[in-house]
Amino acid sequence: MLNFAARQAGRLAVGILGTVAIAAAISAIAEPRAHGLLPFLEAAASRLAHFLQFNLGTSAITGLSAAHELGQRLPPTLLLVLGGGAIALVVGVPLGLLFGAGPVRRAAAPLMQIVTAAPVFCAGLALAYGAGHLLHWPLSVNMPSGAPVAPDEALRIAALPVLTVGLAGAAAVQLALRRAASLSSGAAFRTGLKRLGLGALEIERLYVVPQVLAGLVASAGEIMLALLSAAVVAEWVFNRPGAADLFVKSVALHDWNMTALILVVFAGLSFATDFLGSLAGFVFANEGQP
Amino acid sequence: MSDPVLEIADLSVSRAGATVLDRFSLKLEAGESVVVLGETGSGKEALLGVLGGFADTNDTIAGTIRFAGGEARPAAKRLRPGIRVAYLPNPRSHPLAPHATVLAQLERVVARKLGAPPGSAREELRLALEKMPGGVTLQLLEAKPGQLDPVTLAVALLAATSAQTPALVLADRAMADLGPSAERALLTALAEEKKRLGFALLYATGGLQPAARLGGRVIVIRAGRVVEEGDAERLMSGHAHAYTRTLFKALPRLTLDQARPRARGQPLLQVHGLSLQPENELRDGITFELRRGASLAFVGEDGSGRRAHLRAVLGLDRAPAGRVVFDAVDLNILSQAMASRIRRRIAFITGTDDSLDPRMTIWDTVEEPLRAHLNLTGDLTAGYREAALKRVGLASHDGKRRVAGLSAFDKRRLQVARAIVGAPLLVVVDEPLRGLDAFARTIMREVLTDFRVTQDPAFLVITSDFTVAQALADEAMVFRDGKIVERGAIVDLLRDPKDEATKALIEAVTLPNLSQDEGSV
Amino acid sequence: MSTALETPVPLLRTVSRAAGWGGLGLIAITVALSDFLAREPAGTRGAGPMLSVPSEVYPFGTDLLGRDMLSETLHGLSQTAGHALIGAVAAIILGGLFGAVAARLPRPFSASLRGMMGIFAAVPALLLTILLIGLTARGFAPLMAGLAAAPFAFVRAFDHVDLASLHAEYARATGIPAMTLLRRDLTYEFRETLASIAARALAAVAIILSTASFLGFGAEPPARDLGLMIAAAKSSYYTAWWTAAFPALALLMLILCARLAAGLEEGERP
Repeated sequence: MLNFAARQAGRLAVGILGTVAIAAAISAIAEPRAHGLLPFLEAAASRLAHFLQFNLGTSAITGLSAAHELGQRLPPTLLLVLGGGAIALVVGVPLGLLFGAGPVRRAAAPLMQIVTAAPVFCAGLALAYGAGHLLHWPLSVNMPSGAPVAPDEALRIAALPVLTVGLAGAAAVQLALRRAASLSSGAAFRTGLKRLGLGALEIERLYVVPQVLAGLVASAGEIMLALLSAAVVAEWVFNRPGAADLFVKSVALHDWNMTALILVVFAGLSFATDFLGSLAGFVFANEGQP
Repeated sequence: MSDPVLEIADLSVSRAGATVLDRFSLKLEAGESVVVLGETGSGKEALLGVLGGFADTNDTIAGTIRFAGGEARPAAKRLRPGIRVAYLPNPRSHPLAPHATVLAQLERVVARKLGAPPGSAREELRLALEKMPGGVTLQLLEAKPGQLDPVTLAVALLAATSAQTPALVLADRAMADLGPSAERALLTALAEEKKRLGFALLYATGGLQPAARLGGRVIVIRAGRVVEEGDAERLMSGHAHAYTRTLFKALPRLTLDQARPRARGQPLLQVHGLSLQPENELRDGITFELRRGASLAFVGEDGSGRRAHLRAVLGLDRAPAGRVVFDAVDLNILSQAMASRIRRRIAFITGTDDSLDPRMTIWDTVEEPLRAHLNLTGDLTAGYREAALKRVGLASHDGKRRVAGLSAFDKRRLQVARAIVGAPLLVVVDEPLRGLDAFARTIMREVLTDFRVTQDPAFLVITSDFTVAQALADEAMVFRDGKIVERGAIVDLLRDPKDEATKALIEAVTLPNLSQDEGSV
Repeated sequence: MSTALETPVPLLRTVSRAAGWGGLGLIAITVALSDFLAREPAGTRGAGPMLSVPSEVYPFGTDLLGRDMLSETLHGLSQTAGHALIGAVAAIILGGLFGAVAARLPRPFSASLRGMMGIFAAVPALLLTILLIGLTARGFAPLMAGLAAAPFAFVRAFDHVDLASLHAEYARATGIPAMTLLRRDLTYEFRETLASIAARALAAVAIILSTASFLGFGAEPPARDLGLMIAAAKSSYYTAWWTAAFPALALLMLILCARLAAGLEEGERP
């Protein structure tokens, strides 16, 4: 256990350090004097040194401190990702379990392909269209950000992006589940234990389900990637000012300092989820074992 | 004795229109054992399936079955026996979940069968383990199946069976491929438990050791029909049905009138002071020489260090001390390209079939050595390929089939075909008969002997079975605990074994009731 | 003689794969014929009425500028499919190169290379693509999407190649040269799955590229791209659904066919 944790922690540290180094290189592009390889490397090294001292520089657009800017934009994105994650679990786990096991397993694969083929932005626009035309919700796609809205409508407006992110996450969740389930579906021990005298339900409950759940938890990093990716699109589609939206704008306006910072935060988020997920998956899979 | 534990009348099983088992009848008393002997697919699996309640869902079943104390009922997929039936699987069939401990799983099985709480099931298991060979303890079983060796697992499964105090035990190739000593010890333990607990035993097997060791009745079954039925001793004597006689030809005996190995050609493999531990080169390093066309066996139990030494000899692992010269050159000092040119004269045949790439097709597997080293035309390559496949009996197979889809027997023969085309100087044979049933063993042995006689490569055999060693080699080195304890011509070792390990290995393959056979030990 | 049967391929799987490849073929034909099928050549300013509903004259309706949506969708599809193909090829070549190199390097190097790929894999491919497009000229968008999707192709292609596997070790011990082993991996891993990998990479790159264009990276206005068309329709689709629905449908068909053609879903290898 300790060995495994240490290895994973090592991966986490290397990953985050690597991301920080790459981010330093990106933000060094912003340095006006960094032409040619050597000056560029020098600039990157000095940026890296600044990063490691938590001196994160300023945004080229607003001139404000990048950290301050991000501090304002990150919470809505995190809320979006968290809410989307919750929906992903609520929708994805039953779907994954249903389609991952039992007689529908084979038929499920092409069906899920069709459902998950829609890119997130199409799904988001479709959701907005449906909500507007069928449920008569207030239109939010073309609403300018920061427009005043009534408090009861704010909730409905917030629901759509969360739902979009959640559905994208649900696709990732069910995929991870089905992958884990397919690993043990043909395992010899199922018939072996049945012949030895255990009941089918007992075998599923004790030896199969924990493995499948462990597989799900272990792919937490992957699910996080799907959620972050969807958050970018959802914030753009629904005009939500968040960190993901800020990233797109920063790249478009060549604000490399800001870009680098957001990149580090997102990569760190996915590394951390991956780390926690693989630890939890390990514990799950080895339930009660030292 | 008036009420048999099991009475089967006219049991037939058919699957997709084909008859798998044809009107099988059997009466089994308490304390009696029956060995059902047949090849894979002979119908013994279907019989176990019906009796154990795990028949294939596509099976159509007819006939009647009566368990002790019950009425004769039509056979069905879900039987309600009314007596305790225990199933004893082979540990190599991976019957336990890989991610939970062996103890937890077996405890649950025993508790469920006895209808007892887990604590008392654990106690039953502990008591049963005490009667088993090998000193396996409950603490040892608090490990996952993958962490235990197959023999320990087999002991645990046997203990779990007897902890259930069953009335009927269905053993499914339970002790096959565990090595002769372990198989013998476990079969003896099974026979003793049967005597102690008085259960009836139905042992399905493809190998002959159980028939020879358990005694009692043997039913020879082929393509769903009973070929012959009788007690083990009669069937093993020459007075049996032709099919039975062929089967029992596969049960090899050690013979003492093998000719002494004759002197051979140039040295092929020279090993000087090879040691796996750096510090004791002088004391324990092994030194031997294998000449062209000669043969040598590394004999020892699993884990006795044979394979580790072989890997070092072949340069797969670098040994800390010692020198290995193959065909007059030291492979370790050559460049990779040169070494691979010399290595092409080495061939592998392993009992786990992992020398084959499962993704490749039959034809590609055989042609690869030719294509890699020689610049032949397609016709010539195909010609060599066909000749080799024919010699091992695979010529009629579809050459585009993948290795992954082949049976163990086909894979084993494919390995020989691949070796044949390479015209090797040295053939390394590692437990070549493991996992095969009796019929396949006979053929495999013949294929290998034929290869050795016609092409005269040197053979390096790794085995725990002295009969295999004798069939394929003239000389042997006996391993125990990573050291060589005895070496010499196999005939001499058989006549006058000095070390306890050698004695035990010979003992393990000596059958109890064959002493009347001339020339056998 | 024992004759173990090869495991039969489930019918459904074969059918869905065939349907996927058939669909991709149809898309390819449509793209090839798009200049004939389209009433208006690419890049024309609209001649029709603004936002006209689908009718016999304009089966897909017209957009804000009065352009025929059928022609626009066809042009958009050819651009998106073409770019996705370029990106997928780039992803496979780059990923294959990375994979082949990583699988053959000594352990510490291969581990560090994999670790580096891991860093890139920790950023969503979409963000990576946006970043790469932002850093380079927009014309390279398909290449950049391919580069961002490369870790994915890399992981898939060389998942199975295990140089420490026993059969590879035995092969080396019997003098099979490294090149033969590499060829073995290439023929057996790729012949079996190159088509699948290509189709899957096509789907992934199509999603990434169209999303990037939707967000304003990649194709620029005079060029027609499905993502861009949907972005342009964002302001009008609420009242004129056809402006977004048909490009979205075309995009969906492209992705769906590619995914079905790829066959088994990730991780569902037998």
